[in-house]
Amino acid sequence: MLRIENLHVEVESKPILKGLDLEVRAGEVHAIMGPNGSGKSTLTQVLAGREDYVVTAGSAVLDGKDLFAMSPEERAAAGIFLAFQYPIEIPGVNNAYLLKAAMNAQRRARGEPEVDAFEFMKLIGAKLETMQMSRDFLHRSVNEGFSGGEKKRNEILQMLMLEPRLALLDETDSGLDVDALKVVANGINSLRSPDRSMVLVTHYERLLELVVPDYVHVLANGRIVKSGGHALARELDERGYDWVQAEAS
Amino acid sequence: MSADVLIRRFERARERLPGPFDARRRALDDLLAAGLPSRRDEAWRYMDLKPIVEGDFDVPPREPSAGVRERVRALLDDAASIGAEDASGRIVLVDGLLDEELSRLGGGSGLEIVRIPPEQPVGTRRGGGPVHPLAMLNRAFASDGVAIRTGSGVEVAQPVELFLIASGGARIAQHPRVAIELGPNSRLDIVVHCVDAAPAEGWLNVAVDVTQAEGSKLAIHRLQEHGAGLHHTSLLTADVGCNATLTAAYVDLGARVARNDVDVRLAEPGARAEIFGVFVAAPGRHVDDEIHVEHAARETSSDTAFRGIADRTGRGVFRGKILVQPDAQKIDARQKSDNLLLADQAEIDTRPELEIYADDVKCSHGATVGEIDPEQMFYLRSRGLDEQSARALLTFAFANRLLQQLAPERLRERATRLVAGQLPAPPAWEEVE
Repeated sequence: MLRIENLHVEVESKPILKGLDLEVRAGEVHAIMGPNGSGKSTLTQVLAGREDYVVTAGSAVLDGKDLFAMSPEERAAAGIFLAFQYPIEIPGVNNAYLLKAAMNAQRRARGEPEVDAFEFMKLIGAKLETMQMSRDFLHRSVNEGFSGGEKKRNEILQMLMLEPRLALLDETDSGLDVDALKVVANGINSLRSPDRSMVLVTHYERLLELVVPDYVHVLANGRIVKSGGHALARELDERGYDWVQAEAS
Repeated sequence: MSADVLIRRFERARERLPGPFDARRRALDDLLAAGLPSRRDEAWRYMDLKPIVEGDFDVPPREPSAGVRERVRALLDDAASIGAEDASGRIVLVDGLLDEELSRLGGGSGLEIVRIPPEQPVGTRRGGGPVHPLAMLNRAFASDGVAIRTGSGVEVAQPVELFLIASGGARIAQHPRVAIELGPNSRLDIVVHCVDAAPAEGWLNVAVDVTQAEGSKLAIHRLQEHGAGLHHTSLLTADVGCNATLTAAYVDLGARVARNDVDVRLAEPGARAEIFGVFVAAPGRHVDDEIHVEHAARETSSDTAFRGIADRTGRGVFRGKILVQPDAQKIDARQKSDNLLLADQAEIDTRPELEIYADDVKCSHGATVGEIDPEQMFYLRSRGLDEQSARALLTFAFANRLLQQLAPERLRERATRLVAGQLPAPPAWEEVE
């Protein structure tokens, strides 16, 4: 589904990703772990199309299409969804409006029929329940005045509505208490399917106990330096990253 | 030069202007003695009044033509008009002339709406200081005016409507005037709609005078949507009494040049003013807000908030001035001007100013001039909105935060729809917030 080869990315002229390779097949969940500043967020943002991050070499291909030739909205329509580490506040635009506008923009781009207000409300009712969010939430401005946990839930709610082919979740677990983490994990798991893939960026193993990954990668100094199964995450949790970096160098 | 032009114009208009001539002549002489403001004056730094004053605009004929009334009637009857059947009164001033047939004056149950004599001064500063040049021009050239008064304790449930209309006739300068007097503990809402009945070249210079007795509440919400040929200047002078509240809202979406001067004096303890505005300066347009609030008594409060959007070669100006007099202790004054530039050639000039002579006060002011936030853009686009829609949505949301405070609903809806309609990819505004 997604194949990244030799990816080099600069942020403000500073090299962040330095030859990253990653292949994600349909139905797989990959976890990316690694020390701060290793390039995990950069990877998710550049895949979603952030324009001030410069790809200096390498490629990323989604379902045979060159991602880097596409605008952020084209990537969204092609099935990429990024759950932001720091979701952006948009005062003056309510959640329901954004979600419906986003769904219909993607549907239009794919040549699918748009949803009307009635269908939309029916769809979102069930998703709100999954995420244990109240309906009032739909009429609040996007992320404005939300607690950290509410913002993260909102990202997952958007993901459930948009049903991406490839979800990139950037530290969706950080800042969540145990109960909220369970809700978020439930949301993520409800979307797992054989034709949908996920990349979870996380610092903590605890999310991976709830959303069990097929692969775990360690990203350090702009490259994937070690890959393994779920057991690797537990090992990292116990031993930290130093040994991996030592092994890699 | 401009003195000669003005005097000639004044003499020529003499026959068509009602009421005693002397008061008009005095106003003109005062104006000429003081001199027309120039761009050397701080308050007129970004806008030259001279080309408008000398703009070959003439006072209207005493009787409007039949065609004009039909156009105006069609405008008022339009389904999208802000007018409502149940309004407490309707004042229709066309080219500065009161149209009594289209208006509903009178009032009743403690509300009075009457014609005022042309010599009644409007736009006088009760705190002293020079009379505003726009007020002097208005006095010299005014045709008709009305007074709106409420009795003690009267709460007027439905708004009074005030239509200031340019008929589309040839190059008319109109100077309508409105005096508003609120009795103690009374309440009144006024909606003002400034609009053209047909594309009009001209100048509308309205003077509004407010006097509020203790405990009264007045809200004036104004929508200005003139066409590109009209010059709009407005002056609001207000004297707000003990524990009285004045709300004044300005939405400027049209006119070649729109200039709003507000001069509010919080005269007695507990007086409060809330002044807010939204403007969209389309290409080639100029919007200029000059907002003065004087805290002349203790425990008074004011909140001024303007949001401006300037598009290619459009220009927006905000100058806010808060003056706190020596005895005005424990006052609370806020002032904010936020602006959005949609293109490189657009221009915003914003200057919030504080002048404080008391020592126990709470004052805040701030100004921002920005572009659409790239982080917000990326967030929306990552959800699938195309660039143009995302930009339009964020621009709309910026203005919408203040538009939501407009009342009544008909005015809010019209203003909101018009703002959305000025954007390249209009969002479905009914659902945004």
